[in-house]
Amino acid sequence: MSHAKTPHVVDARYMEPPGPFVATMEMLDTLKEGEKMLLLLFREPHPLYKVLRQNGHDYETELLPDGTFEILISR
Amino acid sequence: MLAFENAPPFAAPLRFFLSAPLFAVLAGLLVAFEGPDIFASRWTPGALAATHLITIGFMLQVMLGALIQILPVVAGASLKNPLTVARIVHPGLSAGALLLAAGFMAGMPVLLASAAFVLGLTALFFLAVTARALIGVANTSPTIRGIKLALFGLAGVVGLGVFLALALAGGWSIPLMALADLHAGWGLGGWAGVLLAAMAYTVVPMFQLTPGYPARAGWGFPNFMLVMLVLWSVAVFADWPWLARLGQLGCALAGIAFAGLTLRLQGKRRRARPDATYRYWQLGLIATILALILLATAAVWPAAADLDGWTLIFGALLMAGGFLPFITGMLYKIVPFLSWMHLQNAGQAKVPAPAMNKILPEIGMHRQLLAYTAALALLLAAQFFPALLTRPAGLAFAAANAWLWWNLLGAIRRYHHHRADIEARLTTP
Repeated sequence: MSHAKTPHVVDARYMEPPGPFVATMEMLDTLKEGEKMLLLLFREPHPLYKVLRQNGHDYETELLPDGTFEILISR
Repeated sequence: MLAFENAPPFAAPLRFFLSAPLFAVLAGLLVAFEGPDIFASRWTPGALAATHLITIGFMLQVMLGALIQILPVVAGASLKNPLTVARIVHPGLSAGALLLAAGFMAGMPVLLASAAFVLGLTALFFLAVTARALIGVANTSPTIRGIKLALFGLAGVVGLGVFLALALAGGWSIPLMALADLHAGWGLGGWAGVLLAAMAYTVVPMFQLTPGYPARAGWGFPNFMLVMLVLWSVAVFADWPWLARLGQLGCALAGIAFAGLTLRLQGKRRRARPDATYRYWQLGLIATILALILLATAAVWPAAADLDGWTLIFGALLMAGGFLPFITGMLYKIVPFLSWMHLQNAGQAKVPAPAMNKILPEIGMHRQLLAYTAALALLLAAQFFPALLTRPAGLAFAAANAWLWWNLLGAIRRYHHHRADIEARLTTP
């Protein structure tokens, strides 16, 4: 799956926890320096945010009208 | 691998979850003990006592216990000392609910005033620690803003409740019925309703694999509910009954829209097999819509509320039919999930935790759901045939909630058993 913001997308909207967390960490491992990934979820993943901050990743979140949170994460 | 090391200790929320069903058992036994007279009106001492055993003893217990647990997950905000907060709030709520119920039953001013004092201080303490945790947290999701607005609802319901209890204790001359209605509005709409919606935005898609709530509805519902309650409050203080009815109608329609939207989202869920949580939510949503149709009807046509049993059926549908099923459905997800999470942590990635359905098997939850649904049906039927059905309804309600308690206790027993097993395996080289 690709997206205008980045080709690296995890669509975790219909995944049960901890699926979204695991899939995001796995994709982050595959990214090269300077690349970004997009996580799609129907909620804000605060525990994931915390891990991202601890590991030095930047992220930006946007809430779309259909209730999807788009979380753009930098490697 | 999972960032759970900062989760509050299991003991913090668990005490609330394990004592809440016991208050519902007590409410059921009170109905059985008092018999048909308890439902003569919503103002009988027994009806008032049973209502508050449910709203404070069950609903508020679980809601505050769950908030202590869930704030870091849904809002990224942590209470400073969750276990200490739990150790103060839990006995405060438990003692307060019992004192208030005893105060209604005995008609003793000192008990009512003590209940007001204990519950007022407990709520004030909880509001202070939560406000401290949430100050500076940006409103990046409807869930976060919903929780913040719900805390205003909590302040509203407790403030009015303390005032009413002191007025009853002191024999003050106040417009008791209008204020009691407003107190119920702030409690069920502004606090419980808004908090439920704020949680639903996160947990319904997460646990039931439904689409998300549209952003506009997510932001709009808590705002609209609070505006309606402010209008209703102004109306009571200015003595404008028409505006109070408009506020009630607004609250009812907002609630119906939220429940209808949730039903629609559930219809699009991607989990093939319905579980106990899903069924409890379906029951809760349908009962809530019926209750709020009654409320909307009475707002438009006030004479309806004077019909025999109208208000009691509304209350039974909304609380026993709506909120208790929502909360029980969530307990059936939260307790096994927390057990699994703490076992996962205890295993230190060396010993895996057992699956959640091993901690709380589906069959036990499903049978309890059937018992609860039967109790609810009896409770509603007792409004039409009080002489015949009030006592059986009370006993059935007590039994169904005792079963809930037994199911949760079973999960905790299995949790301790697995934990001991994991610790033994970790120490064995």
